[in-house]
Amino acid sequence: MFDRLQQVFWKALTPDLVPDEPRQPVMADGLAPAIVAALGGVENLKSHQPVALTRLRVELRDVTRIDLTGLSGAGVTGVMTLDNGVVHLITGLQG
Amino acid sequence: MNTTQPLQLLAPLSGVLMPLDSVPDPVFSSRVVGDGICIDPTSQTLCAPLSGVIGTLQDSAHAVSVTADNGVQVLMHIGLDTVNLAGKGFTSRVEMGQRVEAGQPLIDFDADYIALHARSLLTLMLVVSGEPFSLLVDEATCVESGAPLLQVRQGEPGTLQEVQQGSVLFSGPLILPNESGLHARPAAVFAQAAKAFDANIQLHKQQAAANAKSVVAIMALQTVKGDRLQLSADGPQARQAIEALEKLLLSGCGETVEAPLALEPANVVAPSVPGRLRGVCASPGSALGVVVQVASQELDIEPTGTGIEIERAALDRALAQAANALRALQGEAAGTVQAQIFRAHEQLLEDPTLLEQAQALVAEGKSAAFAWKTATQATASLFQQLGSALLAERATDLADVGQRVLKLILGVQEECWSLPEQSILVAEQLTPSQTASLDTSRIAGFVTVGGGATSHVAILARALGLPSLCGVAQQVLALDNGTQVLLDADGGELHVSPDQALIEQRQAANDRQRQRHQRDLEQSAQAARTLDGHRVEVSANVGSLRDVEQAMPLGAEGVGLLRSELLYLDRAYPPGHDEQAALYCAVARVLGPERNLVVRTLDVGGDKPLAYVPMDHEANPFLGMRGIRLCLERPQLLREQFRAILACSGLARLHIMLPMVTQLAELRLARQMLDEEVRNLGLKQTPKLGIMIEVPAAALMADLFAPEVDFFSIGTNDLTQYTLAMDRDHPRLASQADSLHPAVLRLIARTTEAARAHGKWVGVCGALASEPLAVPVLLGLGVHELSVSVPLIPTIKACVREWDLAACRTVAQQALCQDSAEQVRDILRICSSTANPATLVMEQ
Repeated sequence: MFDRLQQVFWKALTPDLVPDEPRQPVMADGLAPAIVAALGGVENLKSHQPVALTRLRVELRDVTRIDLTGLSGAGVTGVMTLDNGVVHLITGLQG
Repeated sequence: MNTTQPLQLLAPLSGVLMPLDSVPDPVFSSRVVGDGICIDPTSQTLCAPLSGVIGTLQDSAHAVSVTADNGVQVLMHIGLDTVNLAGKGFTSRVEMGQRVEAGQPLIDFDADYIALHARSLLTLMLVVSGEPFSLLVDEATCVESGAPLLQVRQGEPGTLQEVQQGSVLFSGPLILPNESGLHARPAAVFAQAAKAFDANIQLHKQQAAANAKSVVAIMALQTVKGDRLQLSADGPQARQAIEALEKLLLSGCGETVEAPLALEPANVVAPSVPGRLRGVCASPGSALGVVVQVASQELDIEPTGTGIEIERAALDRALAQAANALRALQGEAAGTVQAQIFRAHEQLLEDPTLLEQAQALVAEGKSAAFAWKTATQATASLFQQLGSALLAERATDLADVGQRVLKLILGVQEECWSLPEQSILVAEQLTPSQTASLDTSRIAGFVTVGGGATSHVAILARALGLPSLCGVAQQVLALDNGTQVLLDADGGELHVSPDQALIEQRQAANDRQRQRHQRDLEQSAQAARTLDGHRVEVSANVGSLRDVEQAMPLGAEGVGLLRSELLYLDRAYPPGHDEQAALYCAVARVLGPERNLVVRTLDVGGDKPLAYVPMDHEANPFLGMRGIRLCLERPQLLREQFRAILACSGLARLHIMLPMVTQLAELRLARQMLDEEVRNLGLKQTPKLGIMIEVPAAALMADLFAPEVDFFSIGTNDLTQYTLAMDRDHPRLASQADSLHPAVLRLIARTTEAARAHGKWVGVCGALASEPLAVPVLLGLGVHELSVSVPLIPTIKACVREWDLAACRTVAQQALCQDSAEQVRDILRICSSTANPATLVMEQ
């Protein structure tokens, strides 16, 4: 705990010296099962991470397998399909 | 044209709607910028929601505004904190001033890049011109780009202006000169001036825009000194408005803008010891006096009204009375700082936003007092929450006006203060209204718990020349009335019940200082010679003819620095040859052929931009195109200045000095240009050409510069900030950016050595030369000339007379070997006090 605190402090003081911890995208666990299902299942999901306060950014192997009705049912209010299998799911402000 | 057709705004993007209240950024959710709607985008092109002209378009293309012909202005801001992306991820398809049709694509953006690199993609569409609107779709649903989204109800008939197509006019970028930004007083002056024009006028700061006729809106822009602002206007008098307001803004909106105000309130105050309370100096000086506690009255307020009409009338009556009282106060204090403060308060009373809030509450059945108190408090707390110390202080203005009107509504009498002689007022915070009713001839000083160097008390105290301390611990409020205190604002201390010895010591010190100053003045005409007979030239730093005329009777032996840039600033085109030549000749005539005149060529850059020398924005202007760098890039400007300076050749001993020289090539290029101009004019004599030593590189290479110059002049302010890598205006570092740092002294030593080896003279024209403590070090390092600020000429001459040059050399050698600026100061204090006990008193 103390080490962690010290690390944060040190990082704040000398941003150049401490490398950024790579942000590990949490794999399918932590995602609502309904969303995973509507995205074509775990095997279709390459990565996912929450971004920009209101979005879930996912990388899919096959974007045609998205089930929009299913996503809507899982509380996703908007879907933005981008290049290279990247999709933003708008989930709104959390908490 | 004067129809009030409803105007529909189209969705600029596809996406999910979010009410403005939910937006996790107080700047937007507080509606300070304007009311509107938020969209979480699912498309990547921002389109125009209405037809009109592109107003603000940020360089970084993350925000854009469109102004319709009828004055409705809509601002769109893509994402939160996206300004930090500096344009990456955004591609603008339009330009400022361009006319666009509703639905036309304005900006493309890379949603994935922004999502991964900025705080949020939440995009705002705000009706910044302030018209009310209604939502045409349900909140929290999805919209398609181009679908009708908002219906704007346009203002009352008559306020619509006949405007021609594309008639929105813009000013150039304006750099705000006011020390404390556009706070209440300058904002009021500005809004008042704006109201005089039949035009819709907006003041823009980055992506934010404010109705230039609303004091509250201007204050909420949270401007600070150096902000790049822009004006836009449309309507019949748009052009006149821009012209007049541009001038007003650059001239400081009624505030003196050149006056240096380096009093940064330090937030960390050393712990107080018993009998001694620490604070921050808000106005210098010291005084002995008695405590007078000034508490604000608590008022009882009944929330429920006795009838809407009665309460409305009560509010209107009180507002009118308050406005009258404020006008009377302005009349009494005509021409003073207080008058301007009350003018600002009067403007606050007329602020549409504030009145609207209060009237809405009255309409709901609340009492006039309650409605007014709630409205002022809500706005004041908004100011406080916006995270700016400056704006928080402006909340005091609102509270003060609020209290004035409340007392009138409730029929509470203003308290009368009968002050004893030598009162030292102590308060949590003193409001302008409180201080206005006071007999200032009986006040010896101010002590407040709150407030900073930009608070009204501080401004007032400085205007009255009274000492003032702020940021003092709460316990000061517990002092009994009549307690004797010694207020030492310079030292940042309040001595409670000081013992007689301390009082006498202080008074004796003050007397000695006065006597000494008197003696210095009497001897100012005599030459400054050290005890062992070495003559030191003490000359003046000047910016105008008036400065020179003041300097001569104070004993100036020449002009060591004529800052020519004052001729160039605050105008739309460069000064012509005749105008420039007239100034140089006038100054030279005052001096006469026996005295030195050192003219520094134009020293401007990104920190002091000129309207007619367009410059790209620089991330760090102090490391950018400044001084000689800028002049060599625009050789015509420099050649013209050389020609104008040469016009006074022969009238005084003319010297030309180049600022910010870093490279030998710069000196050689400038010398070549000067020689050419001398030849063209057929002059027999070339003026002396020297360089300023303000970049460490020049000091380190002084041995190579020396053979090619006629003299060096050391600019200690810049030399210090470049050597120590500390901004001299940085609130936390400024106190450490000390020119007596051994590193700076070593660079000076290197410069004087090089000059001596080549028989050239060295002057110091920076602030260090005006510091009595520094005189022996500078003389000991081999400086020949001290060019000082005009009022200090007698003092510095007197300092020179106290020293023996050999002793100065010893002190200088010691100083070079110290660890820190503090150690240098310590040894200088000790040496000065042994050389002349009076000097120690000076430094206290």
